[in-house]
Amino acid sequence: MAKTDLYEYPAELREEFEATEDIHFRDGSRATAAEVWHFMTEVAPKRYPFAYTQKKYAGNRLSRDIHLPSAIKNHYLLLTMNDRINKSRENGSPVIFVQGGQSVDPYYAAGGIALRPASVGLWARGRHEGLGLNEEAVRSHNQKEKAYHAISFEACQTAGYENIQEGGLPIDMVAPFTCLRCSDISYGVEAHRHGPNKAVKLMNIDYPMRHQADKPWAVEYFAQNLRRLTSEIGKKAGREVTDDDLSREIKLHNEGRRLAIDTAELWWSADLPPTNGVDRRALYQMGGMEIHGDPSASLTVLRESNAYIRERVKNGIKAEGVVDKPIRLFVCGSCVFPNDFRIEEAGAIIVGQDNHWSDISTLVEEEGDPYQNLAHAILSYPYEQSIEKRAEWTIEQLRKSRADGVLFLYQWGCNTQSAIARMLCDTIKRDSGIPTMIIEQHEGGSEQSEQLLNRVNAFIEML
Amino acid sequence: MSVKTLEVIRKRLNERPDELRKARAHGQKVVGWTGYNIPEEIIHALGFIPIRIAIGGDDRLVEVGGRYASSKNCVFIREIVGAFAENEDPFIQQTDVLAFDATCLQNFRAAEVIEYYFKRDVVVLGVPRNFYWEEGQEYFVNEANEFTRLLEERAGAKLDGAKLAESVALYNDIRKTLKSIYHFQAAKDNVISWEEVFDLIQAGDLLDKKEYLTLLQETLAELQELQPEPVIEADGADGRIFISGSLIPRGDRKLISIISAVGGRIVGDDLWTGILPHLDLDIKEISAAGVALGYLNRTPHAALPYLDLESDRRLKKLHELLAESKAQGVIYHTLRYCDPFTFKAKETKDILNQSDIPVLEIHTEYAGSDYEAMRTRVEAFVEMIKIKAESAAEVAA
Repeated sequence: MAKTDLYEYPAELREEFEATEDIHFRDGSRATAAEVWHFMTEVAPKRYPFAYTQKKYAGNRLSRDIHLPSAIKNHYLLLTMNDRINKSRENGSPVIFVQGGQSVDPYYAAGGIALRPASVGLWARGRHEGLGLNEEAVRSHNQKEKAYHAISFEACQTAGYENIQEGGLPIDMVAPFTCLRCSDISYGVEAHRHGPNKAVKLMNIDYPMRHQADKPWAVEYFAQNLRRLTSEIGKKAGREVTDDDLSREIKLHNEGRRLAIDTAELWWSADLPPTNGVDRRALYQMGGMEIHGDPSASLTVLRESNAYIRERVKNGIKAEGVVDKPIRLFVCGSCVFPNDFRIEEAGAIIVGQDNHWSDISTLVEEEGDPYQNLAHAILSYPYEQSIEKRAEWTIEQLRKSRADGVLFLYQWGCNTQSAIARMLCDTIKRDSGIPTMIIEQHEGGSEQSEQLLNRVNAFIEML
Repeated sequence: MSVKTLEVIRKRLNERPDELRKARAHGQKVVGWTGYNIPEEIIHALGFIPIRIAIGGDDRLVEVGGRYASSKNCVFIREIVGAFAENEDPFIQQTDVLAFDATCLQNFRAAEVIEYYFKRDVVVLGVPRNFYWEEGQEYFVNEANEFTRLLEERAGAKLDGAKLAESVALYNDIRKTLKSIYHFQAAKDNVISWEEVFDLIQAGDLLDKKEYLTLLQETLAELQELQPEPVIEADGADGRIFISGSLIPRGDRKLISIISAVGGRIVGDDLWTGILPHLDLDIKEISAAGVALGYLNRTPHAALPYLDLESDRRLKKLHELLAESKAQGVIYHTLRYCDPFTFKAKETKDILNQSDIPVLEIHTEYAGSDYEAMRTRVEAFVEMIKIKAESAAEVAA
């Protein structure tokens, strides 16, 4: 890819950006804003040119809201994932593959690093430098194809098989919460047993179903699963994990969750959207403290961003590229979402998404047995409750976010979310009158099909 | 030669819906269950009439079910949802309470959909994924106790230990007799086919249990008279096929009929609508917990992930059954979107190939559109294993 094809941050922005805060990492190190600027303007365009594509619909391109420091810092953290995770691992932190839509407090409490499928994908992507957008797309599709071949072409979630078994990614454990939002995940974990990488430790953290938060024995069982989890990670990290370790981590992660809730409420309260959809999603997800593979880094960026959002909302500043009164869409369903750039071009904006928000917006009690508290909070995720309860919570989010419509989107092969798509949408329509639309996403990739986007655009027009 | 009792069983099956209707008119309640770890003895001991909801083979119902669930659910689950939507199945019509388990998460979702759209009374039994952990077993015991409590509410009676003991004894006798009968179908010069035994097993899903045991015992007596000393022996010309993989419920006979039509002979299975759930069920204690643990500790269903390949009891059982049946090849049957089995297809092929056992995966659904394609593949496979067996016999000679 020729240099002229790549996006460049405006040089005049440098001074403003370098005056922003440092990123603090979990190991005590930090990256100054100047270092971030240098990496993002000099290093990353050479190592990861795909992110600098000028294609306006490429889902993984850099945000153009350049006056929002968190947008640049978020990309910095994503693009340095390979460097940082390798370094942490060399320093003795085991890396654990987890599920999306789950909290990661216990993994960090035990000295590990928890990465969900998208983050594992980012780490793997970081190992292949110099690729343009199309080359990167071909690489990742080829990689995924290996998992389909080894597992099943009907698999949606392959538990990182393509990277861990076929790509040589040095993951130490595969230990997600199972039965949580995805039926493929536990089979995906099991599939690793026939792969060539025998060094990876496999474990399912068993998430009970059906009124689970109201059953003391289910809470106890899940707490026991969490105890086993921290013990196993502790063995890998060479340390004994105490209840205090978990209590401290819960407090830290609660801070992230509270900040994300506050940021979301600020964002939702604004007359004019203070960020675009991509940056909004990143901000909310930082509250889950998983997105960057370093909770401290996510927290420092989220803290700083919260102040920026507050200022923008106070002064009525609208994000670049967003129309004045966009149609507000709330996305439900599995771990996929429509292309924000196309949505925004059509005059709409995504204001929220249920699957990650379900765990990020669930605070954990800080007093008492941390395992019991964490287990109870996790089993209370609204996304995992009965249809009526999930719909009730979703409607509350729709009200708070002032959403005009609901898109229920699920990935091809996703059995569990697709099965309840109609039920959830019917209940939302019945109880709130808000229009809904169900769409199946047929393929991955950053740009999505015209067919999918035509349907989304028609829905936006209708709204 | 034909086994006369099989005719009686077919007749009794036809009469059964009417019988259920009359029983309900006299105040009895019917519990329709579906899943892989439902402790049926508890349902029986509480005075309910248990029937298993396991139907397939109707692509129209699959389409109907998909409208309520989704086109990404397995065809079996979609058909069940479709059957509840239409409510024309004579057995489903007679159900008062439904019992589903969460062994397979799609089964769990089906329970939610049926409860929501068709306003059916559904009791769900949670099943641990870490079923081999002590903590998992404890969780399941609690779930079984809760399951029992919910059924007791519906029965208006407490679970009685003596009645449970009677039900356990009855079901143990059924399992024992089925196992004896099953041996005959794989024998040389067999007087009963695997297909007939398969139907016989599935008849037990619907018939009165006491009557069913009597009919099984009569069938066994007939078989013993017809073939006093059955010997399971491989024959080069047999084309001995073992069926593994996704369940094949009543109504779905596509693959089975193809195997037979192309000259193959099915001699064994590890299907969850076949013999497998009746094997190795050891109830150590007469209580809800004891029965439930007996179920959980059987050969596990593929929907329950097991993370160590070497000690996987499901694979061990498959090898054991293959050896017993002297099968010459395995047809691994996977239903569209049946993740528990499709995710393991390649692994199973690799493992069996290590033991020099040929495997053919048939991935299908209930539509007839793939019939000829399936037929071609199965025919080639049967021909191949026959040639292989004959060559081996020649070498041995």
